[in-house]
Amino acid sequence: MSKPHYDREHHVKKATGIGDPQCFKGEAGTPKYQVGDKVRIRDLPDVFYTRTQTYTRGCTATVVRLVYETPPAEDEAWDNTENVEWMYSLLFKQKDLWPEYADTFAQDTLETEIPEHWLEPA
Amino acid sequence: MADKHKPAPMVDEVSEFEILELAVRELAIEKGLFTAEDHQAWTEYMHTLGPLPAARLVAKAWLDPEYKKLCIEDGVKASLEVGIDWINQMPTKFGTPSDYCNLRVMADTPKLKHVVVCTLCSCYPRPILGQSPEWYRTPNYRRRLVRWPRQVLTEFGLQIPEDVEVRVVDSNQKTRYIVMPERPEGTEGWTEDQLTEIVTRDCLIGVAVPKPGKTANDPRPVRKALKPYSH
Repeated sequence: MSKPHYDREHHVKKATGIGDPQCFKGEAGTPKYQVGDKVRIRDLPDVFYTRTQTYTRGCTATVVRLVYETPPAEDEAWDNTENVEWMYSLLFKQKDLWPEYADTFAQDTLETEIPEHWLEPA
Repeated sequence: MADKHKPAPMVDEVSEFEILELAVRELAIEKGLFTAEDHQAWTEYMHTLGPLPAARLVAKAWLDPEYKKLCIEDGVKASLEVGIDWINQMPTKFGTPSDYCNLRVMADTPKLKHVVVCTLCSCYPRPILGQSPEWYRTPNYRRRLVRWPRQVLTEFGLQIPEDVEVRVVDSNQKTRYIVMPERPEGTEGWTEDQLTEIVTRDCLIGVAVPKPGKTANDPRPVRKALKPYSH
């Protein structure tokens, strides 16, 4: 039998003592968006796996923090850590997410993280 | 009669997920990915975790504005001061019981109240908060909190005034969150130990606010399903 050529421990070797997502720091290049930018969540297909919630698709949000660099969950689910990108913490208005959200509470918000390839300028 | 004194089963039934976990665990041990001793050490470590370090973090931040800034800027670094090392303390020296090492401390203000949920599964800052309560993992909490946060908080006994912004934090990626509530009135001159006692787990998730004299979580009201799911 030939030896397996795939190193199943590549991630653990990289992250031990450093942490994940810290171990991907510096690999994503220049971020496309900055704090304060308005973005829209793209409605991409998610055949196998995603962590971009359906309720955010097509909605606009404001970038509040560039949180860390990481391969997106869609890739990591298949152990692919090659395409590291910026993760953004986004602030949504609840009224934008849920049309029926009460006007009385129009100031209410929701914060969540979305990777760069899911975003487009709004 | 003998059959009247049969020992009660430990559990009524084993769920499919428990069978799956057992099967994957045994395969992993058989394949040499980790040993049975590793698994034992990990399980014992998990049982040592609880919400006390996070409560102390909040109490320290209430007393020290510089430390509060650090908490907001870098939760992982701030955790070190309450004895939690997200990156190196676990027995396997890798990962955390929630897999990732990024903590954000969400500071409430008089006009802003945070509450945490994970709609996609049940992500929870286990190293600093211990195991999540059962209700936090339920689809009921997860799917309703993002959409009807004020109504769900009311069910927890917490009514947020109209002029306060409610901010739901959906823990969907690698960040884990705790809420730093406002220091309540009536705690002037309290020590860090005294303050730590009133920061309960529910306060740290954001479904309660600290009150002087209140040192435990409220019991959750259990409402039986009208049409319960059955096999």
